[in-house]
Amino acid sequence: MSMKKFNANSQLVEKIKEFRSNLITRKFKFIEMQLDKPVSSWIKEDRLLKNKGKEFTIILRTKGCSWALGDYGGCSMCGYIQDSTIEKIDQIHIINQIDYAFRENMNEITSDEADFILKIFNSGSFFDNDEISEEVREYLYKKIANIPKIKEVVLESRVEYITNHKLKKMKDILKNKHVEVAIGLETTNDHIRNKFINKGLSFKDFLDAVQLCKENNVGIRVYLLFKPPFLNEQTAIEDCVNSIHTLAKLKIDTISINPLNIQKNSLVEYLYYQNRYRPPWFYSLFKCILIACKDNNILDSIRIIASPSGAGTKKGIHNCLKRECNEFMSKTLEEFVLTQNINCLIKKNSDFSCDCLLKYQLQKNYV
Amino acid sequence: MNYFFELLTKGVGFSRVGRIVCSKETKKFISTPNIIVPMKKSLMNNLSFLEEFEDHEIFLILKDFYLKIGFLRDKFNKTGFIYTHNGSMEFFKEKLASNIDIFKEDNIIPSIPFNTPTTAINKEFAEEEINNYINESHQILQKYSNLDFGLSIKIYDYYELFDLYIPLIKKNENVRILNLVDIFDRFSDFRKILRIIFKIKEELDNNLVLMVSGRIIPKYYPILIYLGIDLIDCSYLLYLSSENFYDTIEYLLPIYKIKYLPCSCTVCKRNLKYNLTDKYSSEKIELLTLHNIISAYTYMQKIKLYMRMEDFRGFIEKSSFDDMNIISTLKILDSHYFDVLRLETPITQSNKSIKCFGPSSYHRPDFQEFRERLVKNFTPETWTKLIILIPCSAKKPYSESSSHRKFQKIIRKFPDFPDFQEIILTSPLGAIPRQLENIYPVNSYDISVTGEWDREEIEIASKMLISLLKKYDERIPVLCHLKDSGYFKIVEEARQILKNKFFFTDIERNLTTKESLMSLERNIESLKDSLGGEKHIPENKNFLKTLTRKFIKIIDYQFGPEMGNKIYHNGIKTWKNKKNDQIEILDLKNREKLGNYNSKTGQIELSLNGAKRLLPLREKKNLIVFDGQKIKGNTLFRPGIINFSQDFAPKDLALIFDKQEEELIGVGSLIVGSNYIKNSKTGKILNVYEKI
Repeated sequence: MSMKKFNANSQLVEKIKEFRSNLITRKFKFIEMQLDKPVSSWIKEDRLLKNKGKEFTIILRTKGCSWALGDYGGCSMCGYIQDSTIEKIDQIHIINQIDYAFRENMNEITSDEADFILKIFNSGSFFDNDEISEEVREYLYKKIANIPKIKEVVLESRVEYITNHKLKKMKDILKNKHVEVAIGLETTNDHIRNKFINKGLSFKDFLDAVQLCKENNVGIRVYLLFKPPFLNEQTAIEDCVNSIHTLAKLKIDTISINPLNIQKNSLVEYLYYQNRYRPPWFYSLFKCILIACKDNNILDSIRIIASPSGAGTKKGIHNCLKRECNEFMSKTLEEFVLTQNINCLIKKNSDFSCDCLLKYQLQKNYV
Repeated sequence: MNYFFELLTKGVGFSRVGRIVCSKETKKFISTPNIIVPMKKSLMNNLSFLEEFEDHEIFLILKDFYLKIGFLRDKFNKTGFIYTHNGSMEFFKEKLASNIDIFKEDNIIPSIPFNTPTTAINKEFAEEEINNYINESHQILQKYSNLDFGLSIKIYDYYELFDLYIPLIKKNENVRILNLVDIFDRFSDFRKILRIIFKIKEELDNNLVLMVSGRIIPKYYPILIYLGIDLIDCSYLLYLSSENFYDTIEYLLPIYKIKYLPCSCTVCKRNLKYNLTDKYSSEKIELLTLHNIISAYTYMQKIKLYMRMEDFRGFIEKSSFDDMNIISTLKILDSHYFDVLRLETPITQSNKSIKCFGPSSYHRPDFQEFRERLVKNFTPETWTKLIILIPCSAKKPYSESSSHRKFQKIIRKFPDFPDFQEIILTSPLGAIPRQLENIYPVNSYDISVTGEWDREEIEIASKMLISLLKKYDERIPVLCHLKDSGYFKIVEEARQILKNKFFFTDIERNLTTKESLMSLERNIESLKDSLGGEKHIPENKNFLKTLTRKFIKIIDYQFGPEMGNKIYHNGIKTWKNKKNDQIEILDLKNREKLGNYNSKTGQIELSLNGAKRLLPLREKKNLIVFDGQKIKGNTLFRPGIINFSQDFAPKDLALIFDKQEEELIGVGSLIVGSNYIKNSKTGKILNVYEKI
């Protein structure tokens, strides 16, 4: 990829690489058996295009994200490289992982009344041949095509690997499914994306990828990072609202808001332990969605979802550390995601109220 | 709206009392120093907040909701506001554009925020982000060039990066407030902090209002004000409140450990005490927030009062004892920055008792300045034939104390007593010739006296004594009427360096017993004529009069060596005005009025005629050149001054010359020092008390 396309922050890159190197140079290797099983797979409730349904998620273990393994060190908040092999992996293992996941979950899929959305994540790029070969991708498409209960498919990739040829090939096989290519745009603000997150992606390149997907009748799912490092709560809210509004104008199909969680060996983890970063408050996320979606009809045309990792823990999105407070918040968020009804987020005092709201108001400008 | 800062009184260090003028017509002023109280929903909900702060002068607005004209005008119409935003620059710009009429018309100063990034990973990262911020701010400042702004300054612990902001501030005159956001977050970096403060004062307009926000607790207010900070944002107290901290000024105490409340503010008196044990209660935190802000506000009011009525430096020292960083800051200021601070600190204070608390007071700028001026400007009387060293007294001036009265009684028994030079040894001022005992700070200082002197006190006094005695003929005998070992150590150090012969009286019990005084008398008798040789007794006997001797030395102290003789060459006649405690000084021969002696400050205000006798001025000292031929009014402002001496301190006297520097057209007293004149474009500079 051309290095001139985005303006990286060389200082940040050095720092990220410093933390990342702990992991990349590890001695530990996955054993053969681990390579034949996906990192994880699960089924749970999720929002489908028009109604509630279920998600079937498979997290594949591949070589790892080329961006994280490359000269630029990867994104400042990402520690997913931990799940990857780092060294090249025989593609048969990937096929085995796919088969294993389907084998384990097929019964539940066929027996469940709900429609399914299949999400394939590989902590990198699905369309990167170094991670998943063309043959394996084709194998997977064909496998999915034969399961009528799977109505939607989500595949994740950096934009540089999304080509007309790959989209066409996919769409040829999965013509009856709603396919979304998920892109980790994180924010529509180039400065935040490249200087603070070190994403190595320009908004222009993202737009080109969007165009390509639209031409191939492939849907687009965008990941927004909620509260990237170096932003305070208020700026995080404004940045995310701004991104949602911009993406709504682009007629993106789905926006998935990912509140930042602290991942191992990332720059953000370093900041977190120095008390220079705090994962976002639930209050901020709710405020953000409310500002973005209230008094307009964004939710009619766009699906906004969020399934935060580590929610309610110190290292994930949380309010105070009271269990009932975080559980209420998680439940409320889930309810919103499933129903896409903004009123779910307008918290009623009678439902629940926690003393930490005041604490949030008084502290949010500091960390 | 356009704002400007007006300095009203210059205090010790960089401290100053001033005001931000919002509108001259409607007389809207925000007095400084002051705290900025944040307008927060949680505070506004509480009735007590509105009651307590109804008359407060300046608030911080973070939500555009509060920008609503009606709200501001109705509730706080005598108040000033600073509007800033805690989020992105884009959002701030939007709010600025959409509320531009409010900013133009109301007393709300927009302050450009700097929130992103919240932290920096290294210097280059910080530098790049600061440069981005500077570019964006420059665009805003240029776009709204008719609007005045506050500018946030963040340095991310890289103090040298402050330099990046200087061109921006110089280029944009609509920057009126510098909001130092994170400079004081780590007070342990006091050396670096001081470098920034001095850079601001040396390179930027001194009429910029200095504001601090960030992690500031009330304990730091006195030292911040000493460093020239005009506005202090107390928002950090909100954060501390939410962490359950109760502020007692001296300490931050966790509220849940407090058994009773040591405060009688409305909150502590009423509701807070019922909530003490409740660990998680919003109500408690709300009340705690209010208490903390009230306590900061009260402390600031106290400081403002002390600045006017008490010796503020003494208060700063007193309040520094709680914090090692403040003590260190004061030490560094006194030792490394005296050259700048001497031009910032008024040379006199009146009606104030100056308390010395120990080593922290020894080198305060007004003391150092006094010692240096005295040593530099004092010239011995040519007829001196005996030097008598005596100790200081608790009562000031010394000559009014019972011990000094007894000494004087003995000394004055000799008709040639004006030939004796009395020098009083004291800590921490050093060695004071009798003639200067009425000058500030000699007339008003106080120190604990136990008879034990520390090494530094001895060094200060002996150094000064040596410098003074070196000015005399080494054959003149020095008689010591002293008792405690500290005094002897001082004399011992002097003896090692000087060639003069030292004699000691025999002390029986203490210095004022009959036996001791008799010994003093005997020693004077035996030593007074030991010098022999020719005597330089002045022809005009008026010079031997006590008041003449005093006033000549005071003039020397104020204007330089030998200046007293120049002005009073004919001798003087004095007339005491009992109403205002002043002594009018007239020329003995032609009865021309030469000046007034002010007993409160111990200084002489020269009249125009008196000042004329100083001409031609040596080294262009005490000079102000006015841009015109005739002064109108009683105040000179900065634009009216085209040249000035470089070593003015506030309260120094100045001779005002016409544009061509040919004619003396007035005399006045400086409000500010030379550095302020150099680094300002507007503002009051001096009060003219006589003009042609």
